[in-house]
Amino acid sequence: MASEVRAPSAALPGTPVELRRDVSIWGSFTWGYADVGADVYVALGLVMGAAHGATPLAFAAAGFVYILIGFAYTELASAYPVAGGGQYYTTRGLGDIWGLIAGAALLLDYTICISLFATASAGYINFFFPAIREFAIDIGPFQGINLIWAAESLFLIVLLMILNIRGIRESSLFNSLIGGLDMVLETIIIVFGFLFAWKPEMVVFQFKTEFPSTEQFFYAVSVAIISYVGLESVSQAAQETRRPATIIPRTSVSLICVVLLFAMAFPILALGVLPWQALAERESDPVAVLASAIPYVGFLAGHAAAVLGATIVLISANTGVMGASRLSYSMSESHLLSPWFSAVHPKFRTPVRAVVFFSVVAAAQVIFSFLTGPHAMDTMVNMYAFGATLAYFLSFIALIALRIKDPYTPRPYRMPFNIKFKGIYIPILGIVGAFATLAMMGVVLWTHALGRVAGPGWVLLWLAVYLWYRWKNRHPLFSNIPRDWEKEQIAILTSAEEFDLLEQYKHALAERNKKEAKHASQ
Amino acid sequence: MIELIDQINPLGGVIALFFVVSLISILWWMLHPPDYIPAAAAKARHSVFAIKKILVPTVGLPYAERGVELACRLGSEQGAEILLTYVVEVPRTMPLGIPLPDAEQEGNEALERACSIVKLHGLPSQKILQRARLAGEEIARIARDRDVDLIILGIRSEPGLRDAILGRTSDIILRHSPCEVLIDKLPKGAQE
Repeated sequence: MASEVRAPSAALPGTPVELRRDVSIWGSFTWGYADVGADVYVALGLVMGAAHGATPLAFAAAGFVYILIGFAYTELASAYPVAGGGQYYTTRGLGDIWGLIAGAALLLDYTICISLFATASAGYINFFFPAIREFAIDIGPFQGINLIWAAESLFLIVLLMILNIRGIRESSLFNSLIGGLDMVLETIIIVFGFLFAWKPEMVVFQFKTEFPSTEQFFYAVSVAIISYVGLESVSQAAQETRRPATIIPRTSVSLICVVLLFAMAFPILALGVLPWQALAERESDPVAVLASAIPYVGFLAGHAAAVLGATIVLISANTGVMGASRLSYSMSESHLLSPWFSAVHPKFRTPVRAVVFFSVVAAAQVIFSFLTGPHAMDTMVNMYAFGATLAYFLSFIALIALRIKDPYTPRPYRMPFNIKFKGIYIPILGIVGAFATLAMMGVVLWTHALGRVAGPGWVLLWLAVYLWYRWKNRHPLFSNIPRDWEKEQIAILTSAEEFDLLEQYKHALAERNKKEAKHASQ
Repeated sequence: MIELIDQINPLGGVIALFFVVSLISILWWMLHPPDYIPAAAAKARHSVFAIKKILVPTVGLPYAERGVELACRLGSEQGAEILLTYVVEVPRTMPLGIPLPDAEQEGNEALERACSIVKLHGLPSQKILQRARLAGEEIARIARDRDVDLIILGIRSEPGLRDAILGRTSDIILRHSPCEVLIDKLPKGAQE
């Protein structure tokens, strides 16, 4: 195999500046938790509004797909600990053009993650300023625009942009502190709620009498799945995580379990404390409503949940900035995007141009959504689901392809339930996951009117940019740039200081070469 | 306090307890990853892991059978194949093909005993009974022909010649073997 493209993460000669490995085990975990933890604050009311008494069932259905996605990402991120996540795995497993499609889908999600959660964070801050919350003016043809809220959201995006230019250690520390605090407070709400306010008969009653229609239920499931981009964030941080192949399987598996615990506990608790309508009416702050109904902690709950909501969704937005910049860095290193995106700041060692560019895109999304009036957040949620399901589907296909094409790379974690066929482990759950995410994408296209137009439109836009860039640089348009993946894998493991896996990989290759030489001599 | 306890819904209490215990257990497990393995340690670890074929010469005596046990333990993690070898030395004064039923029977019995040790570890094995003028040369040849990764040789504590440390066979194997050789020499006075 020819070696024309240098490894994205490798410490190869001539590599000027690399991303810094500064993310600890808790930091890696909270990157993901920051993203998924925010789901409760934004999605609980939305899911409740669609799934009514079947809300726990909607979260469980989404949770099943999430577990499969989690297993797949854990295997891939620990085997290939580089920035890029789903996009990198797809490029490696399926080729350049599919990698670009997966990358574009994820970029859509990350930019919406920034704009949606920055807006939501500002919304929670405005809990303390009702005058700002109610403020609205008309500008020309645009009616009821809350300019102050929009300005607050833009200010938060600028703040996150500066934080991410400064370096991942600073932003990771920010995530770690807030993530830890949030987990403690959410636990207090859940424990006090189950102990002193929860009525199981109320859950059963609402489940029996308030079941939604099929379409509403599927819509709710697709909204519930949007929050699971958190796992993608963990793999995005792989290139900056210390000992990623060891740490990432642990943080990913822990994240799957912790998020499922919270995602199941909140709707079960909510339906046992309040009627679903009470939460559906307050889509902007459902956790605050729930917490205020709990004895002993309820008197503080409104304010605490507002502060907590503002911070956790802000770190979710921060995860979006980090994810978009690392992903575009990786795509640029793989020659899917212009090298302009991969420039690393000489002092802070962060992908500065990518951080600024995607922050500006998110700011533009905020302005656009505020111009649409009071339903701005709905618009963002619609597009969010499309990107996630498309990227996850391609990642499952890539996982199956890599098991066949690259059986020599050591996998510290392997998806459970495999069938050995001609020396290759076929992942049964990977195949189930591919079908499940494909079905989920079908549901998104069926139930999200804007998602089925804006989502594919965004991907086609990036595809056009990709073709233009490849044509301009005389790279193959529809085929792959030749790469030496084995050399790259050695460089990745060396750079990650995963020496045990490195030796395992070298021995596997040596054994293969020995077999091939023996076969050739016969 | 009693009033507080009275207010607790039993099922809610169980769910709350399950939630807290699960959360703490998951985080504890996550925060205790395996230790870092330095490059040199990883190299050493995997060079042993790469041993897939181990040759063990046996003479049917306890020190030789201890060598078989050592080979099984070294090869168990990677499921190595154990080649058990018994060489009947034929003096140069006799033709190589001369019938030696007693010696061959002794060899077969020694191989059977060695094989029973390997079976206990669940590893694949092969029995090889050969004739040669010099056992050491024949063992080195087998190692070369069969692509052996390691030879493990259990030897007696006091070789026959006063000045020799290892004995003739061991010396030849060390000189002519194409692969790694591990000699297990018991201390003086150890039960042989």
